Amino acid sequence: MSTSNTTTTATSAKSSAATSSKVRTFVITFAVVGVLLYCVCLFLNLPTFTYHPAVNRIELGWGPARSGEGPAMYWYGWTATTLIVSTIVGFLATLLPENVGKKIPLILVWLLPIIAIPYLIWDLRQWWFHP
Amino acid sequence: MDIISVPTFWTIWLLFHLIVSVGLLGALTHQAVAVMVPVRKMAGPGGFVTRFRAVPAPGYAAAVCVMWVITFILGSYIYIKYRTYIRIPIEQAGYWKTQGFFDFKEHVASIGLVLLPAYWFFWKNAQDPEYDTARKVLTVFLCVACWFLFIVGHVLNNTRGFA
Repeated sequence: MSTSNTTTTATSAKSSAATSSKVRTFVITFAVVGVLLYCVCLFLNLPTFTYHPAVNRIELGWGPARSGEGPAMYWYGWTATTLIVSTIVGFLATLLPENVGKKIPLILVWLLPIIAIPYLIWDLRQWWFHP
Repeated sequence: MDIISVPTFWTIWLLFHLIVSVGLLGALTHQAVAVMVPVRKMAGPGGFVTRFRAVPAPGYAAAVCVMWVITFILGSYIYIKYRTYIRIPIEQAGYWKTQGFFDFKEHVASIGLVLLPAYWFFWKNAQDPEYDTARKVLTVFLCVACWFLFIVGHVLNNTRGFA
């Protein structure tokens, strides 16, 4: 009896999460803000932290590669910035009235990643046109 | 501590990364084909292509999300070694476009990561026609992205692998 109740509760919790309007608002906002923010992080160079792998050192924010300390890695920081801010914005979006959340155009979820690709290629032009 | 050599240690992690990515590639390819050319009805047993696209696509969504995250974490871990022991010689040898493709790979992997919650949600609501277009395009996008990540990773490993 107890096992059956637990299973039923878990199943209904799962199905309500998958159809909830708050979850819908969160995932759509997360995707839209995430793609945009990742491109902004690249453009403005906004990592949450910089990792120096040769000396195993983490530096908050952007930090330059220093002589004798090997290269600096920013990708972890860009991804962390994107995930943290997108999660916060996604959560804040769920606090809005349901009709406001539903106004976020669904098309942005798949159009922005497609538009982001040419931008990412352009952002790497230093490698394509390196003499 | 010296049970295995340092190159062997990193090669083992690289292989884990490869194995999970192969599973991800298979799942996403099945799902993308199923969504692009769905089987309307099967009159008979069907050929290889029909069976390939006749998979229960919604059932792949959670597995794809989990495998993308695991592959992403494993890739992030071995990236530390790549940055110091592989990328520097690649730059010294002047393989600039190879380097550009790796940087593009890391960007595509991150973009894919932020799309996963929406992808999961659209597949969990596969009966809702409102999400049809978004679900199809996101699935195909992730599938193409996964193939790109896989091929670039494979070529880079051939350029200068861990072993």
